Amino acid sequence: MDKIFKLNKREQMVVQLIMLAWVVVVLVPFGAAVLNALKPNVGQVFREPFGLPDPVTWSNFAKAWVNANFAQYFLNSAIISISSVILVTFCASTTAFVLARMPFRGSTFIFMLFLVGVIIPIRLALAPLFDIVRGLGLLDTLLGVILVQSASMMPVAVFILVSFMKNISTELEEAAKMDGALPFTIYRRIIFPLVRPAIATIALLTFVQAWNEYFLPLIFLQSESNYPLTLGLQRFNQQFAIQWHMMFAGILIMMGPTIIAFMLASKQFIAGLTQGGVKE
Amino acid sequence: MPRSWLSYTALEKIQRTLLLTPGVLLYGIFNFIPLMALFSLSLVKWPGIGPKEFVGFDNFAKVLTQDYYRDQMLNALVQNVIFFVVIIGSFLIIGTALALLLSFKTWGRKTYQVLFFLPYPMAGAAVAYLLDLFVHPRGPLNAFLVQTGLVDSAIPFLGDQDTALITMAMFYTWHRMGFAIMLILSGILAVRSDLLEASMLDGANRWQSIRNVVLPVLGPAFVLITVIVMVDVFNNADYVLLIMGPEAGPLRSTDIMGTFLFRTAFGGNADTTDTNFGMAAAIGLMTALLILPAAIFLALKNLRSS
Repeated sequence: MDKIFKLNKREQMVVQLIMLAWVVVVLVPFGAAVLNALKPNVGQVFREPFGLPDPVTWSNFAKAWVNANFAQYFLNSAIISISSVILVTFCASTTAFVLARMPFRGSTFIFMLFLVGVIIPIRLALAPLFDIVRGLGLLDTLLGVILVQSASMMPVAVFILVSFMKNISTELEEAAKMDGALPFTIYRRIIFPLVRPAIATIALLTFVQAWNEYFLPLIFLQSESNYPLTLGLQRFNQQFAIQWHMMFAGILIMMGPTIIAFMLASKQFIAGLTQGGVKE
Repeated sequence: MPRSWLSYTALEKIQRTLLLTPGVLLYGIFNFIPLMALFSLSLVKWPGIGPKEFVGFDNFAKVLTQDYYRDQMLNALVQNVIFFVVIIGSFLIIGTALALLLSFKTWGRKTYQVLFFLPYPMAGAAVAYLLDLFVHPRGPLNAFLVQTGLVDSAIPFLGDQDTALITMAMFYTWHRMGFAIMLILSGILAVRSDLLEASMLDGANRWQSIRNVVLPVLGPAFVLITVIVMVDVFNNADYVLLIMGPEAGPLRSTDIMGTFLFRTAFGGNADTTDTNFGMAAAIGLMTALLILPAAIFLALKNLRSS
């Protein structure tokens, strides 16, 4: 067994070379972004894209931040993502609790309805969805986008949580029922604490998805004051199309929080996002 | 507490309903009902505002028979298939190779894992613009190619009809490769060690063991990746929308189902007048049918594993 996975010196060198080659493919675009975001003008970007910035111009970030209204975009993205996380973890865990732990006539049917959402991507239904959101007067509101994005995460979240909750033994719950505990209490005191790891996965998944979502806000938001970062970056791109040093700065502003979060918890990110992708 | 006048069973039922309702309403109104409404909406002609005109299966007939729509649909479909094949090909070849190397006792393999996964959590919008600038004729990649003499003049990767779609597929691959690597790697690591030991005892060398023991059990991981990517690329056209806009230039050479659907509902540019929500619903429905087998497979797999 070990012999298969152990490498001698020469093999090790070859493997390292291949790995480094892919690291270059992954990192060079990021590196180019950092180098060029610090250049004083676009001429330097075009002349020597891999040359060191001279002088190093940190003010590009400040300029991008102020000129492009990034503060507003950031705030909107944060509102959308955090609200979605709260909404999805709450709604999915309560629904999954009933479906997994207190089945009744028709609960399997409801579960199957959630299955439909796992199977068919909501983007294909953009026309009827737009109609409904407009009918409710939620067009061009953050609330509308929050509800739509949360709803798009619900099927996957319910699925993960139901499968997780089905594996919990019933002993604690039955003991609590003997003492007259009602569903609210059982959910809050027994089930919720036990499924915390799954809830954390769903919270991470929902946050990343909501933070990165471009298409749904594009459909439902019109006024710029409601734009999240993804739409803001698009607007920024139209404004600064030729000012590449500013574009790179804007892109890095958008990526910054994700990179920091990923560096702090790369293990959780890799495990959670891989699992979430599978359940998509 | 109203305990005195309500029995435990009644209270239990009330609370159960209260717990179930928020999730069902949220999902129902903003996900399930729109999906179901695809059927009824696909039967009307409706520019998105004003009265709906019932036209039966006219929308489907138009998309399938009228040249103007059929050509767009076929173009988008064929290009979507090419887009998909390029992505899945690179995922399975490069992804498997890198996952295999990561499964060896390589120096720094934990660091490599993290670095390989790095682009995956980034927003599609940021990745699209970053790579757009990176491969631009005046961008870093072309500067490098020209300066080292690898090419004579800059290559307009995204400006040329012949290369734009493939370049878009490469963007997707760059963004999501970490996901494919992690799925295949977990497949490799799940191979039972006694099987490997047995094959070594039988005198197989490393490559033989890998080919005969490891690769066969990766089948499910490959199928899973294929299905996930398929469902994704046939409904998600974010990169094209971001970089090329709904007109999917140059000359519609990057048009895929997602952009075609978007254009049908909201128009390609400001002066489009023939938007039709009914037709958008019909196209959405047909695309759903197209990816349904793959999607059902994925759902069944989830059910079984849970």
